[in-house]
Amino acid sequence: MTAPIEAHVAALEAVLRGPARAKARMLREARDGLADAAEALEGEGLPADQAARRAVGDFGPVDEVAPAFQQELTIVQARHTARVVVLVVPCLLACWRLAGEGRALQVTAAHLGGVAAAAALLAAAALAATGVLARRLPTPRHLPIMVAWAGTAAGAALGAGALALVAASVLAADWPVTAALAALTLVFHTRVAASARACRRCARPAVTPGRSAGR
Amino acid sequence: MKGDAVRGHLDGLLLAVLEPGPLHGYAIIAAVQERSGGALELRTGTMYPALNRLERVGLLRSSWQASGERRRRCYELTDAGRRSLAEERASWREFTAVIGAVLDPRPAT
Repeated sequence: MTAPIEAHVAALEAVLRGPARAKARMLREARDGLADAAEALEGEGLPADQAARRAVGDFGPVDEVAPAFQQELTIVQARHTARVVVLVVPCLLACWRLAGEGRALQVTAAHLGGVAAAAALLAAAALAATGVLARRLPTPRHLPIMVAWAGTAAGAALGAGALALVAASVLAADWPVTAALAALTLVFHTRVAASARACRRCARPAVTPGRSAGR
Repeated sequence: MKGDAVRGHLDGLLLAVLEPGPLHGYAIIAAVQERSGGALELRTGTMYPALNRLERVGLLRSSWQASGERRRRCYELTDAGRRSLAEERASWREFTAVIGAVLDPRPAT
């Protein structure tokens, strides 16, 4: 009975990109809903196989329903990335400020920090726009890709910051502090850059109508 | 009624069927279809992302509930969801009253 349902959910899964947990939850919900629908149709007297196929037909072909699933998954990923940027950047800027007093590093930190801070502000705005504000305002279509590039910029700024700190630690008298800060910056850079990459992948328009005709 | 015409009202429809109490995904879809007498041609597949979106913006909340021997994600209205539904209803009544008065004028009594 479940073969058409499993095949349909698998076809949907194949075209969707996004955070694993959110994707698994949405697919499980769809699978449960299809099973419930088939069960209800069976209750009305339809043979099991026909009921499953009717349920799949009512659900809609993959190329028709996938964009709605993908849009939601993309926003979930954009919110993840925005949250990472919003949490990491201020924390790291505070560390740079504390450790970087009175050094040439300050100039570098000011520039890179400016880029990262701008990205963090944009990320915070994106979080608001896709949360409570989305009750009244339509979510701009390009918001996820903007978050992706803001995250990429923040990631690059942190990467450059880490390099500058490594260079500074060679010359610094208190090099262990600077080296530790460089390591911390590198860890945060990796985290932000990975999340931004996932967001770029998600926001890429790739659920092409017609290419995946799972029925 | 074609899906395109209904899509703009999908949020309101989903909130309305959840007003009496929590329901899981398929029960929500069945309730929309039942209330509309089966006249709404909606892809049931489009409703799951819509439910997720309504939860994200805080109009619904969801939790896993046992339903028979299976576990289902059940949705219920939040306070903001109730307010949003009331607003949707009021604006729909106003809209139908205005359009109805133009399309279908009653002779003055």
